Amino acid sequence: MASAWCWSCLSRLRPTPRAILPPPAVTPRITSAPFHSTAVQYANPTKKKSSLVATKYRQGQVLKRKKKAKTERARPPAVGERKALRKRIVLSNPNALEVEGMKDLSPETMVDSRLRGSVVGLPVPMLERLRAVQAFKPKQGWSIFRRPGTVLRRDTIEMGRLFEKISGDGDAPEKGKVIKKIITGMKGSGKTVHLLQAMTMGFLKNWVVITVPDARDLVSGDTAYSPVEGSKPTQYVQPNAVSALLTRTVEANRQVLSTLKVSQKHPGLSGLKPTSTLEDLAKLGFQDAAIAWTVFQALWTELNATAAAPGMENNFEARPPMLVAVDGLAHWMTETAYRDADFKPVHAHDLIFVQHFLSLLKSGQSLKNGGMLLYATSTSNNPSNYSLEVGLNQLAARQAGIAPTSEEYPQPEAYSNPNARVLDLFKPATGKESALELQTLGGLARDETRGFLEYFAHSGLLRESVNEEWVGEKWTLSGGGIIGELEKLGRHVRTAAQPVAQPVAAAN
Amino acid sequence: MVFILGVNFPERNLLKKSLETFFGVGNNTSSRLLARFNIHPTCRVGELANKQVLDLTAVLSDMKIENDLRREVLNDIKRLKETGTYRGRRHALGLPVRGQRTRTQIKTPVRLNRMERRL
Amino acid sequence: MARPTYGIVQAMQSLRLYSPSSYRLAAPALRRQARGYATETGNTTGDVQSSSDLPPTDLPSTEPPATELSSTQPPSAAPPLAEAPPSEIPPAVKAAPEINFDRFNAQPARIVPASPSYFSGSPRFIDNVLKLESLQAKYASLPTVGAGEAPRMAWFKLAQFRDYVGEPVPMKKYKSLLKILQRLNRIQPEMVPGEVRSELNNFLRPGNPYAAQNVPRTVDENGRARAKGKRKESTAVVQLVEGEGEIMVNGKSLVEMFQRVHDRESALWALRSTQRMDKYNAWITVKGGGVTGQAEAITLAIARALLLHEPGLKPVLRKAGVITVDARRVERKKPGHVKARKMPTWVKR
Repeated sequence: MASAWCWSCLSRLRPTPRAILPPPAVTPRITSAPFHSTAVQYANPTKKKSSLVATKYRQGQVLKRKKKAKTERARPPAVGERKALRKRIVLSNPNALEVEGMKDLSPETMVDSRLRGSVVGLPVPMLERLRAVQAFKPKQGWSIFRRPGTVLRRDTIEMGRLFEKISGDGDAPEKGKVIKKIITGMKGSGKTVHLLQAMTMGFLKNWVVITVPDARDLVSGDTAYSPVEGSKPTQYVQPNAVSALLTRTVEANRQVLSTLKVSQKHPGLSGLKPTSTLEDLAKLGFQDAAIAWTVFQALWTELNATAAAPGMENNFEARPPMLVAVDGLAHWMTETAYRDADFKPVHAHDLIFVQHFLSLLKSGQSLKNGGMLLYATSTSNNPSNYSLEVGLNQLAARQAGIAPTSEEYPQPEAYSNPNARVLDLFKPATGKESALELQTLGGLARDETRGFLEYFAHSGLLRESVNEEWVGEKWTLSGGGIIGELEKLGRHVRTAAQPVAQPVAAAN
Repeated sequence: MVFILGVNFPERNLLKKSLETFFGVGNNTSSRLLARFNIHPTCRVGELANKQVLDLTAVLSDMKIENDLRREVLNDIKRLKETGTYRGRRHALGLPVRGQRTRTQIKTPVRLNRMERRL
Repeated sequence: MARPTYGIVQAMQSLRLYSPSSYRLAAPALRRQARGYATETGNTTGDVQSSSDLPPTDLPSTEPPATELSSTQPPSAAPPLAEAPPSEIPPAVKAAPEINFDRFNAQPARIVPASPSYFSGSPRFIDNVLKLESLQAKYASLPTVGAGEAPRMAWFKLAQFRDYVGEPVPMKKYKSLLKILQRLNRIQPEMVPGEVRSELNNFLRPGNPYAAQNVPRTVDENGRARAKGKRKESTAVVQLVEGEGEIMVNGKSLVEMFQRVHDRESALWALRSTQRMDKYNAWITVKGGGVTGQAEAITLAIARALLLHEPGLKPVLRKAGVITVDARRVERKKPGHVKARKMPTWVKR
């Protein structure tokens, strides 16, 4: 057919719908050519399959797309299944090699400075109890080794010595002391594992271990709360959280609690017999959340009792020291997701549960039978909190010997409006007894790094030979032995690019 | 199933979202309701104590929600129409009332604004 | 041939329009004081007179016929000039004194500017050009070196040159002057004549910036090697001292600064590839750009600092690719493009 373009004047011809045109076979030969014409038009008509049938009028182009075949989706996971998967803690990897000659953490090894830098296993019977207090967190890399173990670093051994002193034999001078520590440090510096080590040591020494594995749970507005009658300003109790705490405490400390008998009078608890153990007492709480807080208070007074109430002396035993471990302290310094009746946010210090644990930090013998308070900050999922920052800076300054009256003593910036209650927590202690300490965890030393990486090699995760130079390199790359980074590097090495071997000797 | 203001709610549903199913209760009102009775924001319907259910029901029944609120709104529109205001006319014509453009995107008024308005 | 010329000279002298010898007279004066531009009568005449002690010695020798012509003829031409005016001009107007053709060479009839380019728009500039051109012609035969080997000179910028000559010199003309300067500068350094050198020095910017040679950096007295590195938009400054492998970046540890292991490795690649990681401490400040840029700017800076401590490592570092500057930068976006190169989708209609 004719071209749609006039090639002589390069204008576009209006196309005639083919349906209107007569079939090409019957086009008469006109002798006088019209103005626009082509030779093609007058050439012999090309053969067509069905020349008589007019071709169908052209239809618009339609985007034809294959419809997506609906794939049969697997059923969505059941309620709570994904969370369970996320929170799952795997403590053993059967593919990893067993490390020969690895010692267990025990009352002897935890103070043995010769073992510094070596990895010691957590005692297997202790694992269930550690799980009960939620000492393990999902992303700490427990699942790459045959069995859980921790490196004995300087801080660990120092802590071991403290445990030994506090629980000391007979009339040791340090016996019954209270150590109050706030543990800070960079991300991955091992704060939570430090708490884990403390808990293990507490179990080994038959202490009572009470933990708050995640401080955020109490302030995120995920458990029930109710105001305490007649408190001013209004305080709130969280029955379910207390009940969970009691459950944790009983599961982990059953051995200790079941041997101790009730020694005080608890008029608020009717179901209590004079012969019942502390375990029975705690169980009252997690059977009925409504009285959980009363039960906890009763348990707390029992554990802190130094002598029995009159008339109940017959089966009184000395109470063991206590370890209180809290992780994620910063959450307790802010306003919570809870609202009071006037729809104002409730400050964490108004939660009676939180207030109880924070008041232990204040000066004085807060644990009557001695023990340790370890409150760790966290760097993951952490609210930024200026007041806490100032408080910790002040604490660090005091520890460095700067007097609170001196000019160098850190003060909150003008108009920054820090929370007075938070700053009050970190005020200098008035008594001489047991001041609050700040412990900042840094990186591992070089020899500790070496021991840690050798453990990776022994477990079959590393193919390299662990030598001084290689360890030094990893130490630098991990920002000075930050243990979390070292653990990443230890796993990473299998795929990491290796530096090309080059003639260093020649260069020297 | 828990009965709040004559409606049955499954126990696993979030209380806050359940309250918001009532016409006239939104995010703000429901959060304030929860705060008033010291119920935590992620509470499920099943976790409510009996007293709390009664309290909630009592408060909700005092509030102007559901049909009362609908009636009030319809009355307001009716008043606008009867007084012959511009806004009333727009309601009747099925056009946007508050000065929006009408060149495009007036699906919602076309759907909702009519002589016999329904809510 | 001599006759008609003689007649014309006479006629012109009578009209006091032109003195053929004036230019020749001015030439020696120009030679002596290049920048004395006489405009005031007393001043100039004094100058010319004071210098007139000298020129008679050489002037007649160079142009004897002209001086003779002008000096011998005046008496015949003078009378008509002196007689004609009194008839028409009122007595109050005094006639000009008679031209003393004996002293005509020393004291011309009118003031002659010292510079031949006096009546051009930019006499000083043209003087400079003429002088340079004459120098160039004079020493054209001296051997030259390539443009690259010639000593680097900081010539006046255009604005500075305009200030220097005090005339609005156009860019193009200044460029042509620069060309002559550069040609003169290319004369083989050992053979540059003194006058060329002193002339070239007139055109240098004060405080020649190229004169100061770069002092090679070394480790300072405290054992610190300082070096800079750049990559993308980032700039890093490294202070490298011998130590145990402690690295601080902007006052933070390496881990806080670079979350990705890859970035940490690339930042320390110079130390790692030479196995010096545990032998140096580094204090680094880095700013600008993103994470990758900062890491790789540090790479370069550390490599350079390491070279100050141990120059022998150069081949190793070169092979490791850490002392090669990556000069690539983000290409600018262009108008009409969606990005640097991307064009909008082409639509037929």
